[in-house]
Amino acid sequence: MNVVAAGLLIAVLAALGSASAGLLLPQPLRAGVVGSGIAVLGTAAVFAGIAAIAGQTMVLSLPAVLPLSGLMLQVDPLGGLFMAVSGGVAVAVGVYGIGYAGHGLGARSFQSVLPLFVLSMVLVPTAANVGTLLLCWELMALTSLILMLADHGRRSTVASAGRWYAVMTQLGMVAILIGLVLFAAQATDTSFAALRAAGPTLSPLIAGLVFVATGIGFGSKAGTLPLHAWLPRAHPEAPSSVSALMSAAMVNLGVYGIVRVGFDLLGGGEGWWWILVLILGAVSAIYGILQAAIGTDLKLLLGFSTMENMGLVLVGIGAAGMFDVAGDSTLAGLAMTAALLHVVNHAAFKTLLFQSAGSVVAATGQRDLDDLGGLRAGMPGTTAAFGLGALAASALPPGAAFVSEWLLLQALIHGLPAAGTSAAIVLPLAVAAVALTAGLAVVTFVKAFGVGFLARPRTPEAAAATESPTSMQVGMGIAGAACIGLSLLPTIVLPAIGGIAGGVVHGGAAGDGIPGGNPVAVNDLTIELNAVAGSLSPLLLGVALLLALVAALAALRALAGRRVARRARLWDCGAGPMSARMEYTATSFAEPLQRVFDDVIAAEQDVDVTHYEESHYLVRTIEYRRRTPDPVESRLYAPVLAVLAGWGRASRSLANGSVHRYLGYGFGTLCAFLIALVVIR
Amino acid sequence: MNAGASAQVLNIAAGAFLFTAVLILWRRELASIIDIFALQGVALAVMVAVIAVDEGSVELFVVAVGVLVVRSGVLPWLLRRALSHAGATRRETRPLVNVVASLLAAAALTLLAYAVSQPLVALDPSPAAHAIPVGMAVVLIGFFVLVTRRLALSQLVGFLLMDNGITAVGFLSTAGVSLIVELGVTLDVLLMVLVLQVLKTRIREAFGDTDLGELRGLHD
Amino acid sequence: MTVFGIVTIALQLVIVVGLAPVLTGLMRQIRARMEGRAGAGIGQPWRDLRKLLRKESIRPRGTTEVFRVAPLVLVATCLVVAAAAPYVSTASALNPIADLFAVVAVLTLGTVAIALAGIDTGTAFGGMGASRETTIVALVEPTMLVAIFALSVPVGSTNLGAIVTAGLNDPAGVFSPVSLLAAVALAVVIVAETGRLPVDNPSTHLELTMMHEAMVLEYAGPDLAVIELASSMRLVVFLGLLGNLFVPWGIATSGAPLALFVGCVAFVVKVAVLGGVLAAGEVFLAKLRLFRVPELLAGSFVLGLLAVAASFVLS
Repeated sequence: MNVVAAGLLIAVLAALGSASAGLLLPQPLRAGVVGSGIAVLGTAAVFAGIAAIAGQTMVLSLPAVLPLSGLMLQVDPLGGLFMAVSGGVAVAVGVYGIGYAGHGLGARSFQSVLPLFVLSMVLVPTAANVGTLLLCWELMALTSLILMLADHGRRSTVASAGRWYAVMTQLGMVAILIGLVLFAAQATDTSFAALRAAGPTLSPLIAGLVFVATGIGFGSKAGTLPLHAWLPRAHPEAPSSVSALMSAAMVNLGVYGIVRVGFDLLGGGEGWWWILVLILGAVSAIYGILQAAIGTDLKLLLGFSTMENMGLVLVGIGAAGMFDVAGDSTLAGLAMTAALLHVVNHAAFKTLLFQSAGSVVAATGQRDLDDLGGLRAGMPGTTAAFGLGALAASALPPGAAFVSEWLLLQALIHGLPAAGTSAAIVLPLAVAAVALTAGLAVVTFVKAFGVGFLARPRTPEAAAATESPTSMQVGMGIAGAACIGLSLLPTIVLPAIGGIAGGVVHGGAAGDGIPGGNPVAVNDLTIELNAVAGSLSPLLLGVALLLALVAALAALRALAGRRVARRARLWDCGAGPMSARMEYTATSFAEPLQRVFDDVIAAEQDVDVTHYEESHYLVRTIEYRRRTPDPVESRLYAPVLAVLAGWGRASRSLANGSVHRYLGYGFGTLCAFLIALVVIR
Repeated sequence: MNAGASAQVLNIAAGAFLFTAVLILWRRELASIIDIFALQGVALAVMVAVIAVDEGSVELFVVAVGVLVVRSGVLPWLLRRALSHAGATRRETRPLVNVVASLLAAAALTLLAYAVSQPLVALDPSPAAHAIPVGMAVVLIGFFVLVTRRLALSQLVGFLLMDNGITAVGFLSTAGVSLIVELGVTLDVLLMVLVLQVLKTRIREAFGDTDLGELRGLHD
Repeated sequence: MTVFGIVTIALQLVIVVGLAPVLTGLMRQIRARMEGRAGAGIGQPWRDLRKLLRKESIRPRGTTEVFRVAPLVLVATCLVVAAAAPYVSTASALNPIADLFAVVAVLTLGTVAIALAGIDTGTAFGGMGASRETTIVALVEPTMLVAIFALSVPVGSTNLGAIVTAGLNDPAGVFSPVSLLAAVALAVVIVAETGRLPVDNPSTHLELTMMHEAMVLEYAGPDLAVIELASSMRLVVFLGLLGNLFVPWGIATSGAPLALFVGCVAFVVKVAVLGGVLAAGEVFLAKLRLFRVPELLAGSFVLGLLAVAASFVLS
């Protein structure tokens, strides 16, 4: 038994054990045992994933477990990466969840389902036939739905968000099912090995249909426009530990699915698939981060930022596919490396961000940034954690996302000479889209961190916030350490990720092989690109910044005349002490941006001014409200929903409440079916 | 002039040609739009002159001088005269599509022009042929101006931009429209401008303004 | 790391730190003379810094570490770029970070630090300045990166040293439409990034029109000195990049003392000329309304994109 198999076995046992512990143990013990169990599960998955990346494999076939084709598991490096990412997120969330369960999440239903959700995310990348994939996928969808609804008793909005999530995730599942069944019909059986053999022989029409159908399902899981509607609803309403799992681990599996089907099973496909993926990714990234930049709900903002990051990953994957089809494997590998590294980075910083947001919500009961502020005083640890996550998320050095976006930009820039006319048009626009995304991410996280955590508290709840329990801080510590590691020493993970990417794009039809099988090389802690010019040393950059900071501080100390700083009042134009109500809020912070992008966002705002009775010139109050309804939703979903509702109304006349009539429908259908059978025979 | 240097000059002239078209979208002041249009005429004349030198054709050189005179002398002069009669409306204050969107549209149109003229460029890999997308882009931008601007004078500029673009594409792709054809086209354009000007004067006399959006009122 | 590289770093740091306030003084002086005033003299910014350093340090109540550290971060980002980018010679000892994307991102980090400090004070002015500044940063980013794209396509690399060396090897390439369009686009972006007219007015003291000044309103004494120095350095750093990317002549390619001397002189002259042109231009400009700034940036974005298009259309 190798490490992969042992790890998976431990993971399954830990999941089942902690699920039953969640069901059986009394309330005081429950959260601790389940949390530790999830941490063990995650650790086992991480080890199994790393072993798989290192080249170990495991094949498990249990034909008797499932009807038709049975249960088949197989782990390869690509699956191993996603398994390790899910496991890593689970470790941090498991530890965090021990303390977080104190906030109304100690119920049996929640604690027993949580380990199963984590297990399903670990198992999806190991599935090796259609049936197993769909089973794990459905398990993931169901468990996440149950977990998401945990707070439904406290907020009425949870139920509606749950409905959206349930409908969209099931429709996505149906799309994947249709795609894979169509695919399997052309192959000898439903195992991935058979599909892989049949993939390159499919007619372009069938292959395109399979890719689009599965792409719809997987893309909706990754929050790609226009199938993103569940994401901004589900992420804020779910408990924060679940948001972290969904946002940092579950959405990745959508990306995994696209890579697995597009590159591995279908063998690369055609250029237009990947241009489509790239464009949708870029549009989702911009749209997501734009909504995040003007949003004021802390968790909603993080949810939209997930949409943005998955969009960036899809840009990388789309570019990889384009280059692969064009026959340039090295660049394809580079773009794929950037995408996969971004998946890892995003998992790290989004776990951290959702955990710290969860701590804030737990401590204050407020999610709206306009009601927060001044948390630095009461929650120094959480503030530091969020600051670290924000730095990592906003593509600034020394942050994690900076490294992966740098790689992505390198791939896009070097792609120009290699590619044809369509690429020559798509690539500059993609660079601009990535850049705009990076800029808006800066706005988003300056706003979230500055308005939410710095300055002065805007409400009594924010002023009274106290630091969260130790276990939650440890959970944030784990995620934070991962962020710092990925920021400064991505050179540790990059060769492995490059190797995986090289293996994935090698499947391309015209693949001419990457020199050394790896698009990136690491030399003296410096990332160097193979075959194209480019190098970057994140560690050197971080050290240089630190040295410059220390030098500046030393120079200031030496030169400044008087050392002791005097505390003084803020400049208030001489009008008396300033109140917290005079601070800039998140709404006002985002106002210029909202005006600039008004054509895209179409915000609804109204201003009510009430005057004193005595004079029209004296203003008593001004009330400003801004609502940003999702324009994509109102233009795309509303008509569909209206048509469906119309059908519903029309069919109501068929159902008048008479039991005889319903039985009659059944009888009539049966007869019609039999007649049809007779006629056809 | 050696081939490298002439290609360089041609490239710069083509860049200036496109740049002026974008500037026309960017600016609101009608007077500066006309100045920029005159500059574009110079860029076009330089392009034609470079081709003339490359081909060693005296006839083309004469055409270049003609282009310079008509497009950076006569037409801007006519436009300025129209402007001085135009009264208070000297700024395109509210185009149908705002300036930011217009600029982004210009970028998209340029890329489109590049994509559609790819087969033409592939026919003949000379520096002149490589500049064809620029001419095409100016045609599209001119059309865009024609569609989105409210004032009759800016629409006129849009029309002239299109004509500049078409002329450029003609010279760049065939390297030598005959003198007679160019003369004919130029006269056509001049005649067109004069007719439009007369028409515009009549409109203004009748309605007091030349916001063409308001012509819709005639329909009801 | 060679001796040549270390000498380069030291020279660049000394020149940028030493000359940054002088450049600011020069620009103010040019402006003053063109507006018919006598001006305070080129050395005035240095005298101001000396004065500020001697003053007492004042910290507003209720501010956090972010407020305290932000000026240092701002100046640190400028120092890193001053050390890493090819200003005096092409042989940067910090080659692995002398990447155009990295340099741009590092400078953005400084802006973010000051924006956070502005919010941290909790005054309306600080928040307003931060909001406007970050909005402009977000809009500047695409233009900046597309212009970089245009510059790096012919070279095949985003490494600053590589781009500058390629410019040295192909002097005619400087006059290609690609580099002219990209130069205009980058110039507009740099004006926006360094807070000069017509995007921001560096000499305004009317709160409602300020961006940069609004964020740093609460700073006093040595902290303010650091910020003033950093703002001047930022201008030198950006103008130096513009100068060396498009007019690389004179930059040292070997460690010979003469070459280094020529490199220093060329760098100082380029920055001074660009600063002079900028100052002279500002005399004729008024500040744009905030919501007209996107138009300016969209225009320069289009130019950047045209530069990219030109790099494959006219090649």
